[in-house]
Amino acid sequence: MTAVGRNVRRADGEGKVRGSVRYGMDYTELGALTGKVLRSSLPAARIARLDTSTAATMPGVRAIATATDAPGLSGMFFVLKDQSLFARDEVRYAGEALAAVAADTEAQAEAALAAIEVVLDPLDPVLDPDHALTDGARLIHPDWESYETIVPGPRSGNLAWESRIERGDVDAAFQEAYRVVEDEFRTQRQHQNSIEPHAAVARYEEGRYTVHTPTQFPFNVRGRTAELLGVRPSDVRVVVPAIGGGFGGKLDIMLEPFACVLARKSGRPVRIVNTRSEELRTCAPREGGIVRLRTAVARDGSILAQEGEIIADNGANSSGETVACANAASLVLGSTYRVPNARYVSKVVYTNTPPTAAFRGVNGPYSVFAQEMHLDHIARELGMDRRDIRLHNLIGSGDVMVNGQEVDGPFLREAMDELETMRPWQQLQASKRPYRGHAIVPVTWLTNSGAGSASMKLNEDGTVTVASAATEIGSGAVATGVRQLVADQLGVDFHDVLVTPPDTDTGGYDLGAQGSRTTFGAGNAMIDAGKKVREQILDVAANLLEAAPEDLELADGSVHVQGVPDRRVGLAAISATASMTSGPIIASGGFVAPPESFDGGCMTGALLTHFTAATYHAHHAEVEVDPDTGRVTVLRYTVVQDVGRAINPQMIEGQIQGGVVQGLGYALYENLRVHGGEVVDDNLESYRLPIAADTPPIDISILENPCPYGPLGAKGAAEPPIVPVAAVIGCAVADAIGAPVNELPVTPFAVLQALRKQGESAA
Amino acid sequence: MSYAFTLNGQPIEVEADVAGMTSLLSVLRESFGLTGTKLGCGEGRCGACTVLVDGTPVVACLYPLANVDSSDVRTVEGLAGPDEPLTEVQSALLDHGAVQCGACVPGVSMTLTALLECADHVTEDDVRAALTGNICRCTGYTKFVEAAVSVAADSGGRQ
Repeated sequence: MTAVGRNVRRADGEGKVRGSVRYGMDYTELGALTGKVLRSSLPAARIARLDTSTAATMPGVRAIATATDAPGLSGMFFVLKDQSLFARDEVRYAGEALAAVAADTEAQAEAALAAIEVVLDPLDPVLDPDHALTDGARLIHPDWESYETIVPGPRSGNLAWESRIERGDVDAAFQEAYRVVEDEFRTQRQHQNSIEPHAAVARYEEGRYTVHTPTQFPFNVRGRTAELLGVRPSDVRVVVPAIGGGFGGKLDIMLEPFACVLARKSGRPVRIVNTRSEELRTCAPREGGIVRLRTAVARDGSILAQEGEIIADNGANSSGETVACANAASLVLGSTYRVPNARYVSKVVYTNTPPTAAFRGVNGPYSVFAQEMHLDHIARELGMDRRDIRLHNLIGSGDVMVNGQEVDGPFLREAMDELETMRPWQQLQASKRPYRGHAIVPVTWLTNSGAGSASMKLNEDGTVTVASAATEIGSGAVATGVRQLVADQLGVDFHDVLVTPPDTDTGGYDLGAQGSRTTFGAGNAMIDAGKKVREQILDVAANLLEAAPEDLELADGSVHVQGVPDRRVGLAAISATASMTSGPIIASGGFVAPPESFDGGCMTGALLTHFTAATYHAHHAEVEVDPDTGRVTVLRYTVVQDVGRAINPQMIEGQIQGGVVQGLGYALYENLRVHGGEVVDDNLESYRLPIAADTPPIDISILENPCPYGPLGAKGAAEPPIVPVAAVIGCAVADAIGAPVNELPVTPFAVLQALRKQGESAA
Repeated sequence: MSYAFTLNGQPIEVEADVAGMTSLLSVLRESFGLTGTKLGCGEGRCGACTVLVDGTPVVACLYPLANVDSSDVRTVEGLAGPDEPLTEVQSALLDHGAVQCGACVPGVSMTLTALLECADHVTEDDVRAALTGNICRCTGYTKFVEAAVSVAADSGGRQ
């Protein structure tokens, strides 16, 4: 029986339900010390004094590390190197590391932290991104010009990075407009809050660091740790135990370099695990955003031109993906609807706040929220139906996206049509009741194009082992998806495909679990390796069966002659034969997505330039608002999602349900507030995560528009379900109360305020 | 002072050098090596540390050791022995694709086990209400609910 398309049980499932799986947070080594990090209490200050001499003499203290132990500057993806491991001379955010201690016990480590003498001379914190960009604002990085960048990028002072797309003749289009509509939207920080906190256990031996850490992206942790410590990447080995959730929050280094430097200085293994409070205060969330849109429309609702300014709060340095992903905001604004003339400027701005980073969908959720609320505003101005204006401008076959990339089919329209059969728009419009609302949002999203590799061998018993650095963050991509692909390719049982735990010493380069790329990118690399393994198997089998390789088939763990199922030889026998004749069966493979053609000339500062394996989506929500309390209840949610090819439909459903609920959290509850530079919500009492009772019924329809270079046509499936959720919920609430909501989250207070404002303007 | 209780069916005695206010979670993880129960938040909100004390779910990160004296404590490792088949709850969670990263799953398994052991009939709303103290960041909860309802339906309500 083939594995692809079936809901196989995940390979790591039994261990997870039995509690026997060892996560990063469970991992330790004999003799490990406890590491702790001393962090700044102020958002901006000069370091007047940092004296560790008393702390160093305290009982149980084995090592103390400070800025002199970590000479390097680095940045996420090595894009903009403005981050040191410890603050040097100046503190740029509350929570920035000043020193780290390793001691025999946690209590001793904490006592030592308290004994480090710190004198900080406060500076005026720059907290508001708009203010940070004004002429008189204090420079957060006075030496910004000296920082190394991966490519020359437009930047200046507190503007860490700018990316720009300019297409067509925007000014002329605005002159011809029937209406010009303008809006501003503001969104909050959202924290990934994986149940497993960040954790790292490091040791130093033979001049190399070995660190066990539940990271989504081992090669990034390796390179970034090495750069901060001033050593070569190959001097660091990253090994990944089971990962208890990531959502983007475990792509970058957090505790690994601290553990490494302490291990070297103490000569002992060092284990550091964050508390929940440290997670919320120092581990980079999705950035807060400001989106300003101005659109020229024709009388029939056609978008003639759009100007957009996206301000993304980078926080104090570029240790997260905020800079690398700046252009994604512009791309997503101009890839769902036809925007023939566009000028999008995405600005990533330094503030004296904790750095921000990737969270599933990066800047997509707030860009789409802005675009969709704005479209509803345009529809109101024109007296147009909200679905009609979307269909009228919807991108399709033959159209080009804002980067000049051609759309590969009428798939957005198909998603909208499928949604129409599930939740007929006019019927819902006609049956509308007071304080109930609904909304529909289409969106185009992408699959991360990044590199993957695999090494595959046929074992003596006929099973297959794949060595890979691809990580299983929970989505099932490694625990099911890639194994299903290999199982069918080699005709072995799903359970007979083993995948090694990620280890940068043995696994080839892999861009990590991000942008839904694991089944797609790591899967393609495994298929590439599998092709060669398959050829070797068939060559050996051809000799044994006295048949031509092209007449052979692989199935049920053996090779047989086509049409003669009895003439067969098992894979174990083939493995044994190979080891005595042609050599053991083993091969490696690699993948990076082929380039798409687009117009590079229309973009500057763009690190993300185009859509790889684009996917097409339509979401719909029905909500009810309580006019007395402002509470929003989501009554029903519907998702139509194109996945290319569904390798494991049940796992995809799980990604959709989980992504939608994270999106509901972003839309309605979650808000990592920063006041005066300090994170207010440093516990799960006030940081409100969605619970089971918040989850509405979610109807799902999966579409399969295969990607020519996806494994069996598969495209990314896990990231996109969060992208349009805040937009759908925002638009549905606005529909329910008859007033726009231009900020997230849409809390009961925000709803009551909108209702009151509306009442006042009516009176 | 010592505390005596049963842990996954075995009689246990914890000696006096452990203070009574020590959390049950740290004793489980550090003294008994039962790392299936997770420290997710340490503040009693996420429920990844849920264990059963006399059949009732409690958050072990806040539950004092002294409180389990003379009680029956069950952790995820006690649901099915290492060589035993999975329980219906564990099996249903896998069949319904309800496990993703799995960090919350030990706690969720305990909550659902407690619910299904004492209820004759459970509705989706019952399951959602029971899971109020268990945060899952991956799944959106739907498949937990489906799994629990299927177990109740298969066993006529009782496990």
